[in-house]
Amino acid sequence: MSRELLPTATPARTRAAVLELLRPHRALAIAGFSVMVGATAIGLLTQPLLGHIVDLVDSRSALDALTLPVVFLVIVAVVQGGATGLGLSLIARLGETVLARLRERFVGRALRLPLEQVEKAGSGDLTARVTADVSQVAEAMRTALPELARSVLVIILTMFALAVVDWRFLLAALLAVPFQAHTARWYVRDAVPLYARQRIAGGAQQQQLLETIGGASTVRAFRIEDEHAGRVTERSQRAVDLTMRGVWLVLRFYSRLHVAEYIGLAAVLIAGFLMVRGGLVSIGTATAAALYFHGLFGPVNTALVLIDDAQSAAASLARLIGVIDQPEPPARTAEVTATPEEAVAVAGLRHAYEEGRPVLHGIDLTIGRGERVALVGASGAGKTTLARLIAGVHVPAGGSVRFGASERVAMITQDVHVFAGSLADDLRLARPEATDAELREALTRVDALTWADTLPDGLGTIVGEGGHRLTATQVQQVALARLILADPPIAVLDEATAEAGSAGARVLEKAIDQAIAGRTALIVAHRLSQAATTDRVVVMDDGRIVQIGHHTALCATDGPYATLWTTWTGLRVTDIPDSNPPVPE
Amino acid sequence: MSAGRDVLWGAVRGQRRDVLFGSVLGAGHQAGEVAVPVLIGVVIDQAVARGDLTALLGWLAALAAVYVSLSFSFRYGARAGERAAEQTGHELRLQLVRRVLDPRGGTEQGRLPGALTTIATEDAKRVGAVNMAAIMGIGALFGVLVGAVVLLWISLPLGLLVLLGTPLLLFAGHLLSKPLERRSEAEQERAAHASGVATDLVTGLRVLKGIGAESAAVARYRLTSRESLVATLRAARAESWQYGMVLALTGGFIAVVALIGGRLALQGDISLGQLVSAVGLALFLLGPLEVFSWVNAELAQGRASAGRIAEVLATPPAVGTGTRALPDPVRGELRLRDVRCDGLTLDLAVSPGEIVGVVATDPAHATTLLRCLGRQTDPEAGVIELDGVPFTEVDPADLRLAILVAEHDADLFEGTLRTNVAAEEAVLDRVLVAAGVDEVARGLPLGVDAPVIERGRSLSGGQRQRVALARALAADRAVLVLHDPTTAVDTVTEARIAGGLREIRQGRTTLVVTTSPALLAVTDRVVLLDGGRVADLAPHAELVRRNAVYRAVVLA
Repeated sequence: MSRELLPTATPARTRAAVLELLRPHRALAIAGFSVMVGATAIGLLTQPLLGHIVDLVDSRSALDALTLPVVFLVIVAVVQGGATGLGLSLIARLGETVLARLRERFVGRALRLPLEQVEKAGSGDLTARVTADVSQVAEAMRTALPELARSVLVIILTMFALAVVDWRFLLAALLAVPFQAHTARWYVRDAVPLYARQRIAGGAQQQQLLETIGGASTVRAFRIEDEHAGRVTERSQRAVDLTMRGVWLVLRFYSRLHVAEYIGLAAVLIAGFLMVRGGLVSIGTATAAALYFHGLFGPVNTALVLIDDAQSAAASLARLIGVIDQPEPPARTAEVTATPEEAVAVAGLRHAYEEGRPVLHGIDLTIGRGERVALVGASGAGKTTLARLIAGVHVPAGGSVRFGASERVAMITQDVHVFAGSLADDLRLARPEATDAELREALTRVDALTWADTLPDGLGTIVGEGGHRLTATQVQQVALARLILADPPIAVLDEATAEAGSAGARVLEKAIDQAIAGRTALIVAHRLSQAATTDRVVVMDDGRIVQIGHHTALCATDGPYATLWTTWTGLRVTDIPDSNPPVPE
Repeated sequence: MSAGRDVLWGAVRGQRRDVLFGSVLGAGHQAGEVAVPVLIGVVIDQAVARGDLTALLGWLAALAAVYVSLSFSFRYGARAGERAAEQTGHELRLQLVRRVLDPRGGTEQGRLPGALTTIATEDAKRVGAVNMAAIMGIGALFGVLVGAVVLLWISLPLGLLVLLGTPLLLFAGHLLSKPLERRSEAEQERAAHASGVATDLVTGLRVLKGIGAESAAVARYRLTSRESLVATLRAARAESWQYGMVLALTGGFIAVVALIGGRLALQGDISLGQLVSAVGLALFLLGPLEVFSWVNAELAQGRASAGRIAEVLATPPAVGTGTRALPDPVRGELRLRDVRCDGLTLDLAVSPGEIVGVVATDPAHATTLLRCLGRQTDPEAGVIELDGVPFTEVDPADLRLAILVAEHDADLFEGTLRTNVAAEEAVLDRVLVAAGVDEVARGLPLGVDAPVIERGRSLSGGQRQRVALARALAADRAVLVLHDPTTAVDTVTEARIAGGLREIRQGRTTLVVTTSPALLAVTDRVVLLDGGRVADLAPHAELVRRNAVYRAVVLA
């Protein structure tokens, strides 16, 4: 299947989207920014005040003369501290609020994307966006952005202050700029691709460790410990090598910045020397200029290093906006079946995942209200595709699927997932307003309450990622309990017992029986004993329906189903004393 | 915890050359950083104030020399430190993986793979970072010492003021921000929760869509996101004010230094240039002193990480080892004598070359039997023998060359179908056909060379199972134990596999733990385990006929 990655927004669209997000908080943005400008500007009074003290010493003033500039220094410190605290918290509020809105819109949109689109992109694409990209943007908003803003403010205002002291100092300081600009360009050019490779290598290492550690018992059973230790070594070494290359790049970057620093500092000192000698400025002014420039080292380095953080954050942002901008999928057209007795009516249904490789060739099937239908057949017969078309996961290439008035379809597959959080919260995803009693009732029906009650905190036990681990059977029982709570009139079950192992499968078959009681059900059955309990069995082969009927009748007929039954049991029908398993009441 | 300390010291000792080299250069760099503000003062004093061109050029040359040396020391010192850190992390990572893969096992009990992986990545990295912290700490210490000497040389009272004042200032900042820090840590943790929930919901997307729970999920996420926002805002506000407070304290301190220094200069105790240098040094010293608190935090984290690593490395093995050799070749006679384990009581003899089915009414008993046969655990009582040699007297690694337990949920690994099956070229086709992988390969564009992503997630459940079975068959062990090898495979394929299995394992001891009738039909005998004991023992067809319990388990 060809990959079709989810869209990424253009730089222009990303900028526009950021402005849209910021617009409701315009006042906050202006306030935060103004306070920060004020705080930085006040802070820059320190150097001239120190310069003034130098001048007082130079002119051999009285001791008392020191008091006033020192009091001013203290006032500057307190006001700057207070204003910075206020400014930073305003900016943090702006950033965090916008970030929260961004992630909410992203998740809201991502969860409503058509499954077909997500699958075409590969499951990793959306997951990577919700993890790596969201955290990249968050990290940038939280640390890089305020830091960058602060540094840039200090740089700009210091330049301004230098110009106020004397424009010739600014000119001298600017001598460092071409070196810094060149260094920054060189760094970004090399750093961006290198860090991308570093992230990939880090991911590969993580993945290998998960695979080797997670599969440790398999590794031991097959005696391939050395091979796996070798794989881990190789990937870890690769990550280490790339990290060291990144480290070396940054260190060379700083070395070049040291050169720029020296040039600028020497220029400012020479300018001070010349201007003091020419009587243009006082020694205190020259001191203030030198201190200003010395104070620039930190912010300049910070700002330059953060450039690539900002760039990767922008790339991540474009990937988030790309998803947010996806149009809402059209609501499923509610075509109504002809008669009220029909729950599902499928006519002339065709489908192909790839051009020219059809998997369904014109399926006609009607399922009555409350009827239980089993779909059986070999792998690749098209059972899952038919189930998914009926459940609305895919849009059919041809033909139609129609439902009875106001019918809703729910589907359970062998893809299992337990949502991280308490077991009760997991179940409430299916019915948010469910009471505890309703949750317990649903668990009882799928025979899961017994084990649920023995969990450390009962239904409050944290399950899922990082929580209490449930067995494959228990996970599927939870899925069935969710189905009961969601209470759809039509249920589609696609090999819901496959992952549980044979013993679990029987437990689940009973649970399924309970979960679909009173519903119209379409069951893709793997174990034929499950098919035997349904009202009708639909046998599929190569994208077509080849037989339909009740289990008993089909067993008695010489045909594909009878053959399947014989192969499944490993016996001839006559070998089994009671070949008709009890039909549920 | 002393084992943790050993890991920590081992980490530094193992990299002592880089650590020593880095520390010397780090000290050199700090000395250079001290020299810059001092030289600015000297230039103002000697050249600018006196209008002395020769002095200006001379001191600028000295400043250049300082820059060259500080830049050089920083570059190579930091590289040595990072190298030591990365190398340590790498070595610890491999040591951990070796321990996890040890044939005697034991580390996975009570630990999730994700948690172990985090120890092998994050904790290993943190312990490695201790090397860098040591280098930075030593460098900063040297910087403080040089700064102190210079300051005391400029003026004893001013020097003492700065030397006592700076730590006091940092301590005050620390004290003021401590309650904020503690709160912000807890809140940051809660904030991280939002991204975890989002990932979790996206991972479960199919399940959500299956039951139409998208809106409920979006609503739940919004709630989490809002809660998280409130927490982050509190944390961010605390952090902002903390920063502002430190800024105010620093500014106040500089004012005091300027006041005292100014008075000393006016009284003629120190020169103008020395005043400038002292102010510059007071500002500079905040840097290395902040490094100390950073080093402290790094060491604390490193200690905690080293403790976790030591704990994994010291996990007792799940089973013992032995020195007895198995006969060569292994005939494959398996004997369980009065084996008791987790509610299972078992006496069973399997002749060489026999194919035996095992049906357990309680799946837990089947799992226990498999764990004993794979020596993931040893029975509480009784003996399991292979060709008359008790399991416990053989090295588990040697035993696994004779007996393979293929678990139901065995993992596939990243690679291709071919690398996963790992069969010798001569038998590859036979193995693929027997396990039904030939059919899987035909459906994939690259056939047996089709890529398999981590844990085989690129394949469907049924495809994964068949590849895992082929791998088990290809290993060609004297004894093969299969657990539910075909639960996700369709009936027709299952029947084919059953036939293929029978044929390929002809004359080799094979146990199939399953309730699949198609597989049981090809075995020589079937053991029915009910209530943890052998309840019946006969061929499949006979058990179907005579044993109602068996019929209920296998056919219902």
